[in-house]
Amino acid sequence: MRSRLLRNMLWSVAVLAVLAGLSFGLPALDGAVASARPVPAGVRYDIGDGVSLLPPAGAQVDVTHTSPGQDQGTALFLLGSVRYAIRALPFDGALDDVTAQLRQNITATRGYQVTGVEVPVRTGAGVLGRQGGYTSPGRQGRYYAFLAAGTAVEVTFAGGDLELHDSLQALEASVRSIAFGRS
Amino acid sequence: MSAHIEDHAPGSDSPPVVPEPGLVIPTPPRARARRSLRLPAFWLLIVLLVVGAWQIGGLLRQEAAGYPAATALAVGLFGLYAVLFVVFVRGLDYFEREPPLLLLTALGWGALTATSVAVRGDTAVHDLLAKLVSPAFAASWGPAVAGPTVEELAKTLGVVVIVLIARAQVNSVVDGFVYGAFVGLGFQVVEDIVYALNAVALAGDGDSLRPVVGTFLLRGFLGGLWSHTLFSALAGSGIAYAALHQDRPAWRRWGAALGALAGAWLFHFGWNSPLLADGFGYGGPGVLAALLLKGIPALLLVALLIRQAGRREAGYYLEKLVGDERVATVRELAALGSARTRAAARRYAGARCGPAGRRAVRRLQRAQALLALEVSRGGRRAARYRAAALAQRELLEARGHPDAYAPDGASTTDWSWLIGCLCAAVLAVGLALAIRALGGS
Repeated sequence: MRSRLLRNMLWSVAVLAVLAGLSFGLPALDGAVASARPVPAGVRYDIGDGVSLLPPAGAQVDVTHTSPGQDQGTALFLLGSVRYAIRALPFDGALDDVTAQLRQNITATRGYQVTGVEVPVRTGAGVLGRQGGYTSPGRQGRYYAFLAAGTAVEVTFAGGDLELHDSLQALEASVRSIAFGRS
Repeated sequence: MSAHIEDHAPGSDSPPVVPEPGLVIPTPPRARARRSLRLPAFWLLIVLLVVGAWQIGGLLRQEAAGYPAATALAVGLFGLYAVLFVVFVRGLDYFEREPPLLLLTALGWGALTATSVAVRGDTAVHDLLAKLVSPAFAASWGPAVAGPTVEELAKTLGVVVIVLIARAQVNSVVDGFVYGAFVGLGFQVVEDIVYALNAVALAGDGDSLRPVVGTFLLRGFLGGLWSHTLFSALAGSGIAYAALHQDRPAWRRWGAALGALAGAWLFHFGWNSPLLADGFGYGGPGVLAALLLKGIPALLLVALLIRQAGRREAGYYLEKLVGDERVATVRELAALGSARTRAAARRYAGARCGPAGRRAVRRLQRAQALLALEVSRGGRRAARYRAAALAQRELLEARGHPDAYAPDGASTTDWSWLIGCLCAAVLAVGLALAIRALGGS
């Protein structure tokens, strides 16, 4: 009986060890590897669904939140503590619908609020979009929505007041560089 | 009608075949559930189930607060779906049925423990692939690598824990299949509910029910037949083989367990892989064909495996009834060997003696199965089951059908598989059209 209990105990420990390895070991290993990678300056970055842009100089891409794809894609760039996220996806509504969806996504997070009024904006290639602002605890942010040829692009960037102020021009230039269509 | 059926009755030149016995270790009559309370594995199981329930409950509570109607519909639809699977899998386990509490434990492990492990492990593997290879690789191959690696291991451990707490209830490879299938079913149901609620959130249309119905059709039916239930059933049968064949060399037992796990991994990998995702460039019909091409080999392999294991288990139990022609004739023993021949024997009795004859054969078969089980265990209820079998025999004799056998056609020419395949194909096309109508692709 005692040997049976001992064997049962050893097997139980083995089961627990494997589960702990999957639940905690893998995330720990993941945490030990840096997720930010530098992106080459002046080279267009493909987001997905034919959308690309020029990342701000000095930006790094967070590979764990970046998912390029044929039909849609997302990318997250880090510029110091500023997070610059872009999402491209097929969309069969109007620009107002894209903007409303993006606003809803922002305000769905507790503590996030849209501020001010939306204004029209254009990319360097002339694609019409809308721009607005939002706040989150300790951070200021801006959002953009564009729509061209059935593809919507949602952009958000946010950071602390000072850092965002320093990076604003580079971020705006990057947003203006957004291009649609597969090359 | 009757004469036609008689033409197919086995003659002297076609002796009935009783399945060859395989390894079965019956539950000893003295096995008691409360003895498990003394085992460390039992308390580990309780802790893991509680932690899993807390994590998955929290996740679902959060979704239910945002989308109450969609959550209720998802839980209801996938709950009903689970009931159908439970009935089917229970039907495979005809002779020695598993205790409901253990089946519930297996279901709970899949639904709570394995899913909560997978939530953390899958994300970590996906992110590691993005960091170590590339975001593009992680986006396309991440689910194919992370899913099977984390999930198959976490689910298979559920069958290992069942063996640890109730070794006496794992009597044959079929039992490992059944426990594995229940673990996989629990996992599949919770995963599908989470997928459905994610689809609701992504649709951005509030508490909408359409994405739930679309996910139910897509993941429940088009993808559900060869999903987690099947993969875990395969891995579970390997664990049962290793636990039962203590007389075999360790390398062979471990080889069988790891081989079955590797098979589950491979099928899961193939299913999640982006290969053929474009449906050979033929749009919806092509994608449907690709789904079938990916899923059917797993379904066929596991069906063959369980058929073989089921016949061997049946052979073991039926051997206990050989020689007592009042309880079971040789032709009845041959008919008892598989679900198909059992059903054929009932249909044949129905055709000859009406519903009462069919009912009597069903009761006779159940009494024969219980008697065989009780004899194999050395239990004390053998006399009761023998009496039940003899009572049904008398009823059948009175109706002119003393031998509840399956006609020859049932074991040789059976077109039901072809009809089943055609129905499945029609159903698949119908589901694909329904999914498209709901806005899916």
